Amino acid sequence: MIVDFLVVGFSIGLVYAIVALGISLIYSGLDIVHFAHGEFVMFGAFFGLVLVNDSGLNYPISIFLAMIFAGLMGVFVERVFYRRLTSKGGGYTVAGMGMIICGFGMAIILQNVAFLIWGAEGHAIQVDFGTPLKIGTVNLPKSYLWILCVSVTLMAVLHFFLKHTKAGLAIRAVAANKDIAYLMGINVPLMISLIFGLACGLAAVGGVLIGPINYVQVEMGYLILIKAFAAAVVGGFGSLPGAILGGLMVGIFETLGAAYISGSHKDIYAFLLLIAVLVIKPTGLLGQLAKSKA
Amino acid sequence: MLKIQGVETGYGRLQILRGIDLHVPDGGIVALLGGNGTGKSTLLKAISGLLRVWSGSIEFNGKPIHNRRPNEIVKAGLVQVTQGKDSYPGLTVEENLKLGAHSRSDRAKIKEDLERIYEFFPILRERRKQMAGLLSGGQIQMLVIGRGLMAAPKMIMLDEPSAALAPLVVLDIFRQINKIRAELGTTILIVEQNVRMALLLAEYGYVIHDGRIHIEGNAADMIHDENVRHAYLGGTVVESAGEL
Repeated sequence: MIVDFLVVGFSIGLVYAIVALGISLIYSGLDIVHFAHGEFVMFGAFFGLVLVNDSGLNYPISIFLAMIFAGLMGVFVERVFYRRLTSKGGGYTVAGMGMIICGFGMAIILQNVAFLIWGAEGHAIQVDFGTPLKIGTVNLPKSYLWILCVSVTLMAVLHFFLKHTKAGLAIRAVAANKDIAYLMGINVPLMISLIFGLACGLAAVGGVLIGPINYVQVEMGYLILIKAFAAAVVGGFGSLPGAILGGLMVGIFETLGAAYISGSHKDIYAFLLLIAVLVIKPTGLLGQLAKSKA
Repeated sequence: MLKIQGVETGYGRLQILRGIDLHVPDGGIVALLGGNGTGKSTLLKAISGLLRVWSGSIEFNGKPIHNRRPNEIVKAGLVQVTQGKDSYPGLTVEENLKLGAHSRSDRAKIKEDLERIYEFFPILRERRKQMAGLLSGGQIQMLVIGRGLMAAPKMIMLDEPSAALAPLVVLDIFRQINKIRAELGTTILIVEQNVRMALLLAEYGYVIHDGRIHIEGNAADMIHDENVRHAYLGGTVVESAGEL
């Protein structure tokens, strides 16, 4: 039994990790905390729902398209709404505070837009994954296998992109210091849009991956956001490996807690973990006190 | 090559530059001197596009560049070499150098230039896989100069290359700058507090004081000019060591 729970926890953890990666990317790139990120998970899930259930596209293509759509949507939101605030500075500045409130506002707007389009009802993304995989005594539903494959591939691609491509290097430079990045001849506003689009695309993938397991509905983003948030803080805010580690820990901790302690209190375990980690290591597991990013 | 006329700018409502005129000829090497808080860095920011110019004009190669984006100015061939502390300590030496070439897309040529930088500064080749934050002060200065050259610039602006370095290291860095100019023919504007070193290297000098060009002239004449030392040392508080 425990192996089943570990597999489930690991997969859910990967979804949290993907969303947390986006939150950390935006934080390190723009110095802001993006509170509407959960809504991009939700929109991604709805895109997936429409593509799979209504258009009959196959699952991997739907994941890819949902990622692209949500990414473009993220770029649009950043360019049109956030840019005015973020260009005045992020972090602990007055503009950074405004950005937090702006994020909450954007979350409400996006929820209502989704409500107007798709209504309040919950739907599941209907994908026929076939029979569960049997390994020994473990029954592994293939939806979890999909989560595993897609998210690990995505993380590998992201790692390669950031470490070994010109644009990836530029993104790391922008994250570390925008003025110097400008002096290197980097088009900083373009890179910021790219970071934002990338993060929102990742969130959408998280949404499509969780869609066949959980219901897709307009309020789903909020819970995933605060879990991913807990994951990012547990791992160390702004650290990408930390986001992955935090996500996995939150997922496994939560699943085991729900299985062995109490299923109806499933949502509090992530935060117990968060408190425990913050007491022991206030910077998060892989976080650094001084902000030496990139 | 670089022609600045009547530039005024500042931060918020605080005016720093009160009408700067400065000219750097093609292939020349010009020193901009001044103490702390006189407007040297502000002028550099205005030239490289990090700061909006309120009035006046900056022309590079005959085209106006004021209030253009910094990345467009780099693309035009005018590159600011940052102070050593403004390397990327979290990136490796080689990544830092590659960042310098971001505005270019001719891959083969970039690789060639990287090799040339490594020949100029062999220590950088030795330490290319290490984080830039682990380099010594002099090595970081070499790194930022090399990074600036990676953009294949027509002109570079050096922001206090002697800052926080030991005298012998400063001498070494200045020799390298001289060599770069001789071998690559790059036009250079050097911003310095180390008046003597800068004037020995440069052909022409400007002294900036309180946001205005205070004194200008041939470097050789300026070295012996009492006024220059006066302006640089910042007034009449102490005339000689005996008064201390």
